[in-house]
Formats: sequence, C-alpha cells, structure tokens
Amino acid sequence: MQRLDALRVIDDVYAADPIVMTCGAPARELASLGRRASHLYLLDSMGLAGAVGLGLALGGVTPVAAVEGDGSQLMGLTTLASIAYHAPPGLALVILDNHEHASAARIPSQATKIDLAALCRGAGLETSDVDGPEALRSVLSEVRGDGRLGAVVVRIDGGNAPDVPLLLEDPAALAVRFTQFLEERA
Amino acid sequence: MSARSRRTDAVVAGLLDWSLESYVHVPSSHVAPVIAGLDDAGVPAVLANREEEAVGIAGGLALAGKRVALVMQDNGFGNALTALTTFAKAYHVGLPIVANTRGGLGEYNAMIHSFSEAVPDLLRAAGIRAEMLGPAQSPVVWRRTATACAELAVMTHRPVVLLMDVMHPATAEDLD
Repeated sequence: MQRLDALRVIDDVYAADPIVMTCGAPARELASLGRRASHLYLLDSMGLAGAVGLGLALGGVTPVAAVEGDGSQLMGLTTLASIAYHAPPGLALVILDNHEHASAARIPSQATKIDLAALCRGAGLETSDVDGPEALRSVLSEVRGDGRLGAVVVRIDGGNAPDVPLLLEDPAALAVRFTQFLEERA
Repeated sequence: MSARSRRTDAVVAGLLDWSLESYVHVPSSHVAPVIAGLDDAGVPAVLANREEEAVGIAGGLALAGKRVALVMQDNGFGNALTALTTFAKAYHVGLPIVANTRGGLGEYNAMIHSFSEAVPDLLRAAGIRAEMLGPAQSPVVWRRTATACAELAVMTHRPVVLLMDVMHPATAEDLD
C-alpha cells in the first residue's frame, strides 16, 4: 500500500473530524487529496503530531486522528507514554510505517529493527497493525466509532508520491482555518 | 528544592486571575511550588515527559479553546525551541509559559548555568518574548505580571515566557 492509499482511507474515515498531520511529504500528500479546514498540517515540528492530537483530545476535541510516520514517531517517542498515561478517549494515533525517512532522502529509519506496534503495546495502548487499505478502514472505523483511544500501525511502501505540490501556506492561516472549523463544529 | 513562597503563590494567583483551565508541566524541583499551588487550586494538570512534547500538548489544548499554560524549568528550552518556533510561534498559538530560572544567585549546581544563563538571549534570538521576575519585584507585581503575560500571549497569538528567579536567596527567603 502506498502512503497516498493509506491517507485516502484516513481522510475518508475522519472526513468530518480533525486530523493532525505530521510534516514533510505526508502533509503534502494529504493536502493533495483535497484541502480541508479540519486538517492541521504541521509543516515542520517533526514528532509533534501525537502530542498536538493528545492536547486536542484532552481539550474535548474528539474524535481526532493524529498521524505520524515511523521516523517522526521515533523522534517523539515520549508522546507514546503520555498518550497512554493520559488515555483520552476518541484519539486515534496512526503511524504510517515505511521503515524509512522518506522525506529525508529515504534514509532507513530505526523501524527497520524496532517494532513500533510492540512499542505502542508496551506503553499500554490498544494497538492494531494493518497492511492494506481495507484492513485500515475497518480498524480505523472501529476505533472512531467506539470513541476509544487506539493506536494503528500501518505498513506502507517506501517513497513519496510523485508530482505532489509543496504546501507553502502560512502556518498561521492553517491554524486560523483549523480553529474556525473547531468552533463551528462545537 | 524551592519552597512555596509569597511570590510563587502570587504567580499561581495571577494565573488563576486569568482563569487558567489546565496546565501542562514538566517537573522540576524549583517549579514544584507553582505546580503545588495550582494543584491545591484544583487546576487539572497534564504531566509531560519532555518540553517539546509539552509544547505540543499545550498547543493542542489551546487550539481546542482552553486557557492553558506550560510550567517548566528554563533548561528545558533547549528541548523546546524547535516546537516553540515551528509550532507555537508559527501557528500563532497563544501560550503562556511559566519557567523557573537556574544558574544564577543561589544556585548549587556546578553546570546548569552553562545553559540557563543563555536562555534569555536564546529566546530573544528566536523571537520569543520573555518577562523576568526576581526578588526586586513584590509579590503583587509577580501576580500582576503572571496575569499580564498570559493575557499578552493570547492577545498577540504567540508564546510568551515568564522567567522566575526563585533561587535567588532574597526570593527564596521571601524578603521584600
């Protein structure tokens, strides 16, 4: 499964809900599927999507999906413990695992040896690992529908989608649009 | 460890004056008096493991519409700087940050000044506003400054840091 296929499923399941998106190619690829005010694209801040998603969920914004890559999750590894410790219902932590830093010259990540699903489970998170779009849709729909906390580790192919435009918008504008979405949704 | 004093209680009171709804903290023995005061006041706490993570969690709470502050020690700005600049500052997140300072008068650690002394300059270079409080300011000023920092952060949509010198002997001994 390509990352774009996984993002299409996440975008569909959480079509009416906030998604906090990790930086680099994943953010650009999600945006390429269609910009939504409900998407909070983190244009840098690698490893912070899970933490921001945790804050949103603790603030009562649920359901919410926080999407990391394997590299970014490993960079923000302490967040796994914080998510499990505070355990807000309605937060889905989705880790797109291609075993590489695809946005950084495809340098292999430590996920080549480290089992991210085991790390999630070790932190105490109810975790699923999936490797196809239908399995992802099923698990994610279940987590969202149940309103529970869950981690989903998604095995995807390496590389980035070709010809995806850069995301050059002012982050402040992204944040304003996102908070307006939250206010209208409340 | 710093003890609660009129000045640390004044910071707590100042945040309560601002109607603080929750706070994210990374523990430090010298910011513990503020944490204890907020805990006594019944403000919900969110414990974080590292400062950049704390910036993300607090930022998420702020985007959710909560009145939230980050409570930490100044040497954690080394961990937090990328998150502060590329997230809180870039995304215009109004986030008050209350931090105790280290490395100055009253310090007992032989090394921590090597980072903490640079913090005001680092914050300035990163374009993050910081206010400083020490023993020369009265508890009343500490309280009003804490409120004003939180108001300024939200009003100007950015992180604003309040640096508290709680280890200065005159602060620690609660002298006027």
